[in-house]
Amino acid sequence: MNLLQDLTFSSFMWFLSGAVVLLAVVLGFVTYAIYFERKVIGWIQLRKGPNRVGPLGLFQTVADVLKLLLKEDTIPRNADRFLFILAPVIAFVPAFVVLATIPYTSLLQFADLNVGLLYYFALSSISTIGILLGGWASNNKYSLLGGMRSAAQMISYEVPLVMSVVGVVLLSGSLSLNTIVEGQAGGFWQWNILPQFVGFIIFIIAAVSELNRTPFDLPEAESELVAGYHVEYSGFRFAFFMLAEYVYVYAIAALTTVLFLGGWHSPLPFLDFIPAIVWFILKFLSIVFFLFWIRATLPRIRVDHLMSLGWKVLLPLALVNIFVTTIVIELIKYFK
Amino acid sequence: MIRTEELLLNVGPQHPSTHGVFRIIVKLDGEVITEATPVIGYLHRGTEKLAENLTYTQVIPYTDRMDYVSAMTNNYVLCHAVETLMDLEIPERAEFLRLIVMELQRIASHLVWWGTYLLDIGAMSPFLYAFREREMIVNMFNELCGARLTYFYMRVGGVKWDAPEGWIDKVRDFIPYMREKLDEYEQLVSGNEIFLARVKGVGTYDAQSAIDFGLSGANLRSTGVKFDLRKDQPYSIYDRFDFDVPVQTAGDCYARYLVRFEEIKQSLRILEQAVEQFPEDGQIMAKVPRVIRPPEGEVYTRIESPRGEIGCHIVSKKKPQPYRLKFRRPSFVNLQILPKLLVGETMTNLVTILGGIDIVLGEVDG
Amino acid sequence: MKGIVKGMGVTLKNLTKKKVTHQYPDVPLEMPDRFRGVQHFDPEKCIVCNQCMNICPTDCIDLIGKKNPDPEKKGKVIDTYDINFEICILCDLCTEVCPTEAIVMTNNFELATYSRDDLFKNMEWLNDNNTNVRKENSINIPPKKAKKEEK
Ligand code: SF4
Ligand code: SF4
Repeated sequence: MNLLQDLTFSSFMWFLSGAVVLLAVVLGFVTYAIYFERKVIGWIQLRKGPNRVGPLGLFQTVADVLKLLLKEDTIPRNADRFLFILAPVIAFVPAFVVLATIPYTSLLQFADLNVGLLYYFALSSISTIGILLGGWASNNKYSLLGGMRSAAQMISYEVPLVMSVVGVVLLSGSLSLNTIVEGQAGGFWQWNILPQFVGFIIFIIAAVSELNRTPFDLPEAESELVAGYHVEYSGFRFAFFMLAEYVYVYAIAALTTVLFLGGWHSPLPFLDFIPAIVWFILKFLSIVFFLFWIRATLPRIRVDHLMSLGWKVLLPLALVNIFVTTIVIELIKYFK
Repeated sequence: MIRTEELLLNVGPQHPSTHGVFRIIVKLDGEVITEATPVIGYLHRGTEKLAENLTYTQVIPYTDRMDYVSAMTNNYVLCHAVETLMDLEIPERAEFLRLIVMELQRIASHLVWWGTYLLDIGAMSPFLYAFREREMIVNMFNELCGARLTYFYMRVGGVKWDAPEGWIDKVRDFIPYMREKLDEYEQLVSGNEIFLARVKGVGTYDAQSAIDFGLSGANLRSTGVKFDLRKDQPYSIYDRFDFDVPVQTAGDCYARYLVRFEEIKQSLRILEQAVEQFPEDGQIMAKVPRVIRPPEGEVYTRIESPRGEIGCHIVSKKKPQPYRLKFRRPSFVNLQILPKLLVGETMTNLVTILGGIDIVLGEVDG
Repeated sequence: MKGIVKGMGVTLKNLTKKKVTHQYPDVPLEMPDRFRGVQHFDPEKCIVCNQCMNICPTDCIDLIGKKNPDPEKKGKVIDTYDINFEICILCDLCTEVCPTEAIVMTNNFELATYSRDDLFKNMEWLNDNNTNVRKENSINIPPKKAKKEEK
């Protein structure tokens, strides 16, 4: 199944059903990511986490979502109605669309674009506009500040994020995610995380920032801006923002796995008998766990520090990383 | 046409970081505050006026509700004032019990501050860790006096309850436990680069302005002024114990953080000695008449509460009720410097600075 | 970076530690004996001395006495006795002054209701609230006498 083949009715139906399945998987992931997050943070904080709805609280998120859906949908009177309604959609759609290029195993992928990586970054930055619009259209001072912060933050971190993966692209010589993973076969010493360790660190920091998660959760900073850009949203519109956020967690975790952790490849060759998808899921989950873990530990960074970290530290580092990677690659070629 | 506009933002009275019903109207230029006007009074209950119609014993539960994070020291300041007026001799055992609960209270209060301050800054877990330890203290208080927040433990002339069996041992066991936890806190937060970047150099003022504004407690000691009433004007039996007064010189939020953190350790030191010297037996109540009628006169006593100098001024006309009662409430006085500190800071620092001052709204509004 | 890594270590260590939360509504909370909860009132013991009403700092006790129906006995018996738990601060003063321990504290603390009117408790309710009664109450009973009673 490849999105690039000719569109006939049967292939269209194939795509449709594939998309529906993916949506179900993503929604399932989001449901249990939220549950898992609350559990992990609860455990870290010596609490039990959700345990009232269903066995072990497994249906907690379902109940929460139901509650959100049943809530009154309020639109502030002075809000820009059209934009207010549009914003959550703009924020969510790209989050879902970017998933198309993620290769789970060598066979399981929706579209093996040769510019997969570029596609991902291009689309994911559209979500920023949704958040900015939401903050603006609510006509609330807190949400405006939150929206502005998030625009500034996402734009400044987009740059180091993209720069940090250039090293990976140089190493594998392709923008196609599939090829990038293929280049990392044969054990964990082949993974990009080793030659591109600096890139990996920059990528993780920039990615967390892109996700607006602690310690970079300034746009929502509940202790300063109450809730930031979605302070006026309620019901399912709010749910959409939340959903977009968690789908991005999914996307970033998958992308990190693909770019740096060798995708579906096993860390040691003799472990190859374990199915590829299991490896992918394991790596993916450890990234997700890491995100929850730092959320439970770190305080929030300050706006001006955030900017200087992005522009003064991460970006130059990423550039140096590209430079060094290029030189090393050329030297290796020269001596071969 | 593009033009810029100043934003008038209403922070509070219901805002997650104002620790109660406190309101600041800030003028924002972008994210930078150009003017800040605090508005207080949402929790005003008129304690001082109410007290004029209550007997001295009846006023004590009202003091619980002023600084509700540190009720024991509030109890004490009133009792102490009345006792000074009446020239009462307090039994040894009662003094020890008072001292122990006051120092435990100081730890509990600083733990609340520590947890909520980190919560303001965005870290969630420290809050729950701090409350785990505070819970132990609160449980001890619950065993001792039957309440978890509004203790009403002290009476004029002594304390209401003697320590139940094994209670002193619990305090003794608590000291090493707390020391261990403090190490953990230090690892978790004190070295964290993000935290340091948030608090270092934020909300700085010098010793002179601290004195000019009448600041006290950690807010004063963070600027290098070594002033602690437990040392400089010893009340109760503080002169018998060996402890240091932590001082920092930087005068920023980080200095205040360090001072408070060190104060917890010093309180543990005092507790350690107090538990050892705790008298085996003795009265817990001095001989006090059923109806307390202090002689005519005025008295002002002050003690070191976790938030600073809390004072109590009584004008007595030899009636069971005070003619006039006035509290010097440290949170209220400490808050006065806030507008000055906020100008030129960002919204993010507003939270850091306000949290660093450590106010309790019940006390600010009286 | 070092501080952050250390902090991460602390949180990871706590991940597996014993949980400290209490499953409160499922597992009832045990309060120590001295806990000041909702009062229990025993009309038999009350001698209508009004001390509790006078000492109450929030004026939340209302009581009316009547003549003893038994003409041979002197004194009064209690007719109505209400505590308004909207304003009672559970300060312990009423139980402290009561000379007969007619009003005593219990360890019960669950007062949450849907209506403020439900917080107005009358004599009957206070009398029925007779579980977990606190052991030490009045200070009006002189300590010597109290000790004798114990023996
Ligand atoms: S506990 Fe205190 S407030 Fe409540 S009824 Fe008794 S004296 Fe009044
Ligand atoms: S103090 Fe005791 S005996 Fe006197 S009126 Fe109150 S409940 Fe009755």
